[in-house]
Amino acid sequence: MEYFFQTERLAVGYNNTIIVDGIEIKLEKGQILTIIGPNGSGKSTILKSITKQLKLIGGVAAINGKSIDEINMRDMARQTAVMLTGRPTPELMTCWDVAAAGRYPYTGGLGILSAFDKQMITEALRLTGAYDIKDRNFSQISDGQLQKVMLARAICQQPKLIVLDEPTSFLDIRCAVEILDVLRKMANESGLTVVMSLHELNFAKRVSDFVLCVKAGSVLYAGKPEVIFTEDIISRLFGLPPGVYTQLFGGL
Amino acid sequence: MKTKKRIINSENKRCVFTFLALTLLFIALSLLNIGIGSVKISVSDILSSVFFRDSGAGGYDIIWKVRLPRIFAAAILGGALALSGFLLQTFFNNPIAGPFVLGISSGAKLAVALVMVFVLSRGGAVGSAALIAAAFVGSMLSMGFVLLISRQVKRASALIVSGVMIGYICSAITDFVVTFASDESIVNLHNWSQGSFSGISWQNAGVMALVVFASSVLVFSLSKPIGAYMLGEGYAHSVGVNIKVFRLVLVLLSSLLCACVTAFAGPISFVGIAVPHIIKAFAKTSKPIVVIPLCFLGGAVFCLVCDLIARTVYAPVEMSISSVSSLFGAPVVIYMMAGKAARN
Repeated sequence: MEYFFQTERLAVGYNNTIIVDGIEIKLEKGQILTIIGPNGSGKSTILKSITKQLKLIGGVAAINGKSIDEINMRDMARQTAVMLTGRPTPELMTCWDVAAAGRYPYTGGLGILSAFDKQMITEALRLTGAYDIKDRNFSQISDGQLQKVMLARAICQQPKLIVLDEPTSFLDIRCAVEILDVLRKMANESGLTVVMSLHELNFAKRVSDFVLCVKAGSVLYAGKPEVIFTEDIISRLFGLPPGVYTQLFGGL
Repeated sequence: MKTKKRIINSENKRCVFTFLALTLLFIALSLLNIGIGSVKISVSDILSSVFFRDSGAGGYDIIWKVRLPRIFAAAILGGALALSGFLLQTFFNNPIAGPFVLGISSGAKLAVALVMVFVLSRGGAVGSAALIAAAFVGSMLSMGFVLLISRQVKRASALIVSGVMIGYICSAITDFVVTFASDESIVNLHNWSQGSFSGISWQNAGVMALVVFASSVLVFSLSKPIGAYMLGEGYAHSVGVNIKVFRLVLVLLSSLLCACVTAFAGPISFVGIAVPHIIKAFAKTSKPIVVIPLCFLGGAVFCLVCDLIARTVYAPVEMSISSVSSLFGAPVVIYMMAGKAARN
């Protein structure tokens, strides 16, 4: 199996109730998959399931040829990192402290950071452009800065697969592009494999190698962005009235 | 690089300073607690009694049989309460969670009262371990209710209100039981059910030390996952924390610590909320590896102050420890909520 991340007949959901069925993903190292679809279509459920936050209901998901059910928590944490929606609310933590939390799978019993850990945190913060705010109180930074710190935290885990749930929501266009560019760069240069959900179709088209379209419990379409981003498919996926697509994305 | 070093140093300095200040306070308060009381004992008598074991010194018996075990208990149980509060705040991600406001202390109190009334009315005696066991069962029952409610309602304020209500219900039943069984042998129950460090023997103190120290060491060894949990369950899971096991251990440890306090000293309010907050405010950090030991020390100091006041202000009559700890602890909670509202 030459694919780094792969799912077969994957069914995901809560408490044995299937929300999305028949998910087939095949990603090589360094590829970016974006999941798009209307609100409530089950994008987050897919992401939570492939990171073992939810039990798989059916089918298989495998990283590097090994089913995620057979990967123990520490090994999973050492190769898979996540970025979730929502703002964590820790007390009295600096941005540095939050990024440092990504070193968890590598530190010893009391979590004391080694010189190497500190170097990794510094590099991750520099990479996402959050180094300048490392000493700021985490609860007082903007949404854009928040995502950069959370991305640095994920990078600190030295993941081979990174899973992000709407990483660009609430961000201004520049912050969004900066976040996605970091991901693209890491995918190209160090072979990081990326699975994420996005609402912004223009970003999805720009950054993805593959796109998965999810609607009402099933995968409607899957393929390369140039195939997916056509008036026909996008209009049907989101239920757009005729003409809207050209109006919005005429230049896409 | 230079600035980074300075900041880390200043952070460490604050923690070391807080630690030293608390240690000094602890020593000073211990001496005051030995010396002050219905019988005043001079400094030289204290020194010769405590350090040279000179049984001829004035107040030797009072010091060794009454005051030292009481100081020992106040310190250990105060530390236990502060840690229990810290764990519950972590668990519920709510800065005003604590064993008293969530009704866990009162649940423990009810269970202990029932066991004591039952056993004493048959002329038996209840051992320290049995008291802790009863209190643990009671605190787990209350905790169970709180957990059930927390599943239904996600709002933090609703959780606290239901905890307070559970506390009132348990306290009311305890009052019924204690008043109904107004036997000579259980007159002491009344004092205990209001919260007091009086009448603690060395044997009691030994048992509580064992339980509290074992639990506290475990809590300290959990510093790393507790720190990860502060970013929320999702992120903690993603770095490899086994959430189910971790949450279960938090519930068990916080209930056990609270049970141990209630078994010997009755319900003591607000220590569990106020102390962790004060400690974080002074040390300017929430890192569990620093906050856990400081909380223990802070809880000990807080209870020594409260006990000193409780037993000396109207001496020889003693006030309940809860009256005093509320007086100092409740304003901290109000300040904390007001501060939070202002920030939002």
